[in-house]
Amino acid sequence: MKVVPSKSSEWMRPVASQKPAFAIIEIDRVSQVFQTSARKDHLALSDISLTIEEGAFVSILGPSGCGKSTLLYIVGGFVSPTSGAAKMKGRAIMGPGPDRGPVFQEFALFPWKTVLGNVMYGPRQQGVRATEAEAQSRALIEMVGLKGYENFYPKELSGGMKQRVALARTLAYHPEVLLMDEPFGALDAHTRTRLQNDLLNIWERDRKTVLFVTHSVDEAVFLSDKVVMMSKSPGRIREVIDIDLPRPRLRNELLLDPRYQKYVVDIERMFDESDAAGAPS
Amino acid sequence: MIAPATIVRRAAPVLACIGLLTAWQLASLGLKNDSFPTALEAVRAIPDILGDKESLINILASLRRMAIGFGIAVLVSIPLGLLMGRSRAVASFFNPLLMVIYPVPKAALMPIIMLWLGVGEATKILVIFLGVSLPVIYHSFEGAKAVEEKMLWSGAAMGLSPWQRLVRIVLPAALPEILTGCRTGLVLALITMITSEMIARQSGAGNILFNALDMGQYDTVYAMIIIVGAMGICLDAIFERVRAGLVRWSEPQFDMPLSFS
Ligand SMILES: Nc1ncnc2c1ncn2[C@@H]1O[C@H](COP(=O)(O)OP(=O)(O)OP(=O)(O)O)[C@@H](O)[C@H]1O
Ligand SMILES: [Mg+2]
Repeated sequence: MKVVPSKSSEWMRPVASQKPAFAIIEIDRVSQVFQTSARKDHLALSDISLTIEEGAFVSILGPSGCGKSTLLYIVGGFVSPTSGAAKMKGRAIMGPGPDRGPVFQEFALFPWKTVLGNVMYGPRQQGVRATEAEAQSRALIEMVGLKGYENFYPKELSGGMKQRVALARTLAYHPEVLLMDEPFGALDAHTRTRLQNDLLNIWERDRKTVLFVTHSVDEAVFLSDKVVMMSKSPGRIREVIDIDLPRPRLRNELLLDPRYQKYVVDIERMFDESDAAGAPS
Repeated sequence: MIAPATIVRRAAPVLACIGLLTAWQLASLGLKNDSFPTALEAVRAIPDILGDKESLINILASLRRMAIGFGIAVLVSIPLGLLMGRSRAVASFFNPLLMVIYPVPKAALMPIIMLWLGVGEATKILVIFLGVSLPVIYHSFEGAKAVEEKMLWSGAAMGLSPWQRLVRIVLPAALPEILTGCRTGLVLALITMITSEMIARQSGAGNILFNALDMGQYDTVYAMIIIVGAMGICLDAIFERVRAGLVRWSEPQFDMPLSFS
């Protein structure tokens, strides 16, 4: 993993356009058909093509059921598309791998492991020595605000806390690409804001590529270099919007920035149209 | 101070035993039947049995057979059940076989097995094995099937191979369910152990019981029933200890209130 030192505030342009763009993930005419129980084919994704540049923070935004999770699973290698292909660094994605770290909507923690055990699982699997893995994991647990909960089992945590463990568990094995499926959807507004800031900090330090699924327009604009707006029935890419806002982004400055406000208003309007377009056909 | 709820919980099993023995005592006094000794007579016969060296050896031999049969059954059934739960091909191969064996009373197979293996240890162990296997396979199968897909995906993303996922994710995730099957299996092991000794009389707790029955020593018969029952309770209690230790992470935190009013 490459660590790029954090730049100060005079650095005003999105990362993706700063360095020579290298397409880390390419999604090429991907379609996904599901057999429903009514024996009808359901076109969940239709002809999706998308390129994600290395180090970019890309959000996928769209109404419920438009195929956001499915698209993320395809990039993760958990689901193979009905047609088309996804590539990582030019090589076809054949299955899951530690270069792409998922954070699922459903947490998917290992309930028989403590918080520390969950976070250490990936590094241990990767062959990191126990003491080292533990030290790293404790630091990550502190970073996501769960210091003191290291020896708790998942059933003893709230939904929001579980999601933070899930994030730490994935960060722990240093994937090159983070695949996050509405990771903050279950959190209260305050924690959500805190974690958005933390995620931005990590991202600005590590410059990991992030593919981030969300329902929230604010969140997408606040975090991303690029927002991919989807519409449903069938799931298609409706628009790709570059978010040209300065970094590092500070929440209190950004909320007052008219450019930020315009992005939010424009995308919200588009979102409404996408949702309306998705009436059952 | 101990909470009243704790006192009730601790006292409940003792009360249940006392209640049962009292009911027995009253019933037998009322019936005045020679073949139905009172609870007191039966309890008094217990020290004689446990004090007798030969009886003790018999009972220990029974327990040994039971442990071997149970152990082999668990070692074979858990992997098989887990594989069936995660692979449709394995499940559709074994399901029909198991469905054929399922409704057959295992003790009814004894005479046939005795023709192959004689009346010795092997036959009895095999019957215990058959009795224990099915519930353990079934519960392992159900447990493995219910493992959350995203948990396996998380493991795959960390680089776990399919076999590692089976051993390190499916097995622990299904463990509560597997242990439920083992607990049923343990009781069935005890039952098949006694039945097998009833059919192939040679040694064992079942042998003492049925010999006493033949000779009309009814207090010994009932004393043996109490001993077997007590063995069941002890084994179950030990098992429950082990189980609770292994799956503490999955136990519900709260009792279900009987009413909210
Ligand atoms: N395994 C499956 N079998 C059949 N249909 C599926 C399956 N998975 C998803 N679908 C369908 O595909 C569509 C897209 O699902 P997906 O979960 O990707 O949506 P989403 O955009 O993530 O929704 P949400 O925002 O509510 O999470 C939905 O209509 C869903 O019913
Ligand atoms: Mg989803």
